[in-house]
Amino acid sequence: MNSRHTGNLSVDGVHVDMEHLKKGEVNLGTSIMAAIFDGGVVLGADSRTTTGSYIANRVTDKLTQVHDTIWCCRSGSAADTQAIADIVHYHLQMYNVTNAEPPATRIAAALFQELCYDNKDNLSAGIIIAGYDKRHGGEVYSIPLGGSLHKQRYAIGGSGSTYIYGYCDANWKENFTEGECVEFVKGALSEAIKWDGSSGGVIRMVVLTGRGAERKIFFPDENYAGDGK
Amino acid sequence: MTSIGTGYDLSNSVFSPDGRNFQVEYATKAVENGGTAIGIRCKDGVVLAVEKLIGSKLLVPGSNKRIAMVDRHVGLACSGLIPDARHFTSRARSEAASWRKFYHTPIPVSSLADRMGGYAQAYTLYSSVRPFGVTAIIAGMDEEGGPGLWMVEPSGVGWGYFGAATGRGRQAAKAELEKLPLPNITVKEAVKHAARIIYFAHDDNSKDKDFELEMTWVRHEKLATAESGEGIVKGWGKHEEVPKELVAEAEKLAKESMVEGGDDEEMEVEE
Amino acid sequence: MNHLPEVWGRPRNDVYGAYDHSYLQGSHPMQHTQQPIVTGTSVIALKFNGGVVIAADNLASYGSLARFTDVERLKQVGTHTVVGAGGDISDMQHLYEKLLDSLIIKEEYQNDGHSLRASHIYRYLSRVLYHRRCKFDPLWNTILVAGWDDGKPFLASADLLGTTFSSPALATGFGAHLAVPLLRRVCPDENAVKSLTKEKAIETIEECMKVLFYRDARSLNKYSMAVITGEGVEQVPLSGEGKEKVHVEWKKDITLENQSWKFAEGIRGYGAQTV
Repeated sequence: MNSRHTGNLSVDGVHVDMEHLKKGEVNLGTSIMAAIFDGGVVLGADSRTTTGSYIANRVTDKLTQVHDTIWCCRSGSAADTQAIADIVHYHLQMYNVTNAEPPATRIAAALFQELCYDNKDNLSAGIIIAGYDKRHGGEVYSIPLGGSLHKQRYAIGGSGSTYIYGYCDANWKENFTEGECVEFVKGALSEAIKWDGSSGGVIRMVVLTGRGAERKIFFPDENYAGDGK
Repeated sequence: MTSIGTGYDLSNSVFSPDGRNFQVEYATKAVENGGTAIGIRCKDGVVLAVEKLIGSKLLVPGSNKRIAMVDRHVGLACSGLIPDARHFTSRARSEAASWRKFYHTPIPVSSLADRMGGYAQAYTLYSSVRPFGVTAIIAGMDEEGGPGLWMVEPSGVGWGYFGAATGRGRQAAKAELEKLPLPNITVKEAVKHAARIIYFAHDDNSKDKDFELEMTWVRHEKLATAESGEGIVKGWGKHEEVPKELVAEAEKLAKESMVEGGDDEEMEVEE
Repeated sequence: MNHLPEVWGRPRNDVYGAYDHSYLQGSHPMQHTQQPIVTGTSVIALKFNGGVVIAADNLASYGSLARFTDVERLKQVGTHTVVGAGGDISDMQHLYEKLLDSLIIKEEYQNDGHSLRASHIYRYLSRVLYHRRCKFDPLWNTILVAGWDDGKPFLASADLLGTTFSSPALATGFGAHLAVPLLRRVCPDENAVKSLTKEKAIETIEECMKVLFYRDARSLNKYSMAVITGEGVEQVPLSGEGKEKVHVEWKKDITLENQSWKFAEGIRGYGAQTV
């Protein structure tokens, strides 16, 4: 009964410990991001999962599909974010069949927010939602810890993101082409992996366009070079 | 109705031997006695108009509105039993509000019509309830589908229309609606047609009764594209009363057309 | 047979011992939001002759990190009112997008020519905030409600505890310390409102936003401002005739101007040093 976690505050009482997990819980101490370009959106993530300083999984897939061309990047508790993604996945399928049209990205974002906000006391989840549809093109939404929702043109998240605010602000451009956007995401994540001990492994990406969803992967022993196929 | 009184019309949960649900058919009768209600789907929005029959001169003019706002972008006009219509409207508002709570976005018109169809249908299944004595015309405008016009009947069936009519003057109104090049007219044009059709239907069916014309429209707030552009306008619309001046103008034209039409008829009678 | 349902089908107490009822107790202490996470800083507002001006910057902070720099913290509610919120952004979104939006839509159902005025919105919000603090699940915000009400400018504040008060010059958060004294210089009391012009009020608010940017480490040099002006009768007759005319003028994405930094060149060392 006393196992309810309260979230640990550091000395200033404002900073929240992102890693406040239940005992023994698997943590996605992570670098995740998503960015729009003309005609679509790119999601990217590292592949490291840790329990304490032990790497529980070095080839994790943190990019999760919740609908055909609506995906999310998960950070925080693996258990919490998987449960949330599963629930949203269910609701989006139901939406698709009951309304005879695919859900817009912001519908998915609203469902994520609903769950994250209403259950904020029991969750540690930082989620980025990215999706493509013909009407709205590529869209990116960010839901940080408290459960607020923010529409952005690119979003970064997870422990590694703190190291790349400057990189992203300096290098992001409006009207990226697809190739430029992939390079931007790759450049940012490789910096995050370099400086953040909780991030590492391969860089996974998903590109969402009118063509559908396409995966890419880049390897650390190849210096994250190559075409990602 | 040939089989009235055969005993199969007393309960919702009992079919007649030839497979009919008489309670639903009687509910449809209740609708057929109501004031005429019509909807016109245009390229830039939808117009709703009702013939509000005035039961007493003591009623305040303009009171007891018969077209309800369901959400910012959806209007609902009913014909039939007014208390049933009120309840039906209230349910539509709940559906629209719950959609907003869940998806943080307004409900698409087709989804609302679908849910209301399901609600009406549930009242045809159980012996403890009777069907709604109401046919509802749901008009709205959403992002994906643009202007939408749906009519939900007491049986729960609901179709999408370019022009919809219900109530006692529906036959006359339908005949007039079919002459219009729908949906390729604008709401401003449709307002005039709607007024004329309501006056025409009134003249045809309840000439001796007083009535008020009530009109609303749903249209896109950015009118520029709607006024000049070709094709169907898409985007969330706004449901509001048609401005007083436009109603007055449309009513004036409608009355004039009635006088012309009336003369013709009288001449025919004389001949 | 024992008539208490909870013992039906259970092993006999005299043989196996009594049932441990601690397993049945479903109520253990519940804990809710006990700290804000993504936060907004001050909201400031000032009455003037014929209206109110309200402003808030566009920053949402995550601790000391400037996390989101394009957040709108002011919201127009109906025709007469603008609300501004500081504190937790997720609770602000809940307040704005769930509660206030549905409140206004419910009001629009009536279509009776009347609309909720600033004081009505304020009463509603303060009741919601107090209700939530009574559930020990507060909405972690301080809000200002600015608008037009009954022929007069309206300005009042409410916070996460349900504390409410009103004044012709108000500010939340850091602004309560830094901006209120500046605002009170031009508008010390309700009487002073009549002699304060709209232009002077806006100028004062702009000056306060600048001071807040200088001295509030959680502030941003980009902000929004809304000016609510009204004219009309004090008592709205039942007929709705002669209703107030209320106008809300929005200025978004304002960047702070005329900052003073050049004097930094003349500052050398921290004591005796002069080079």
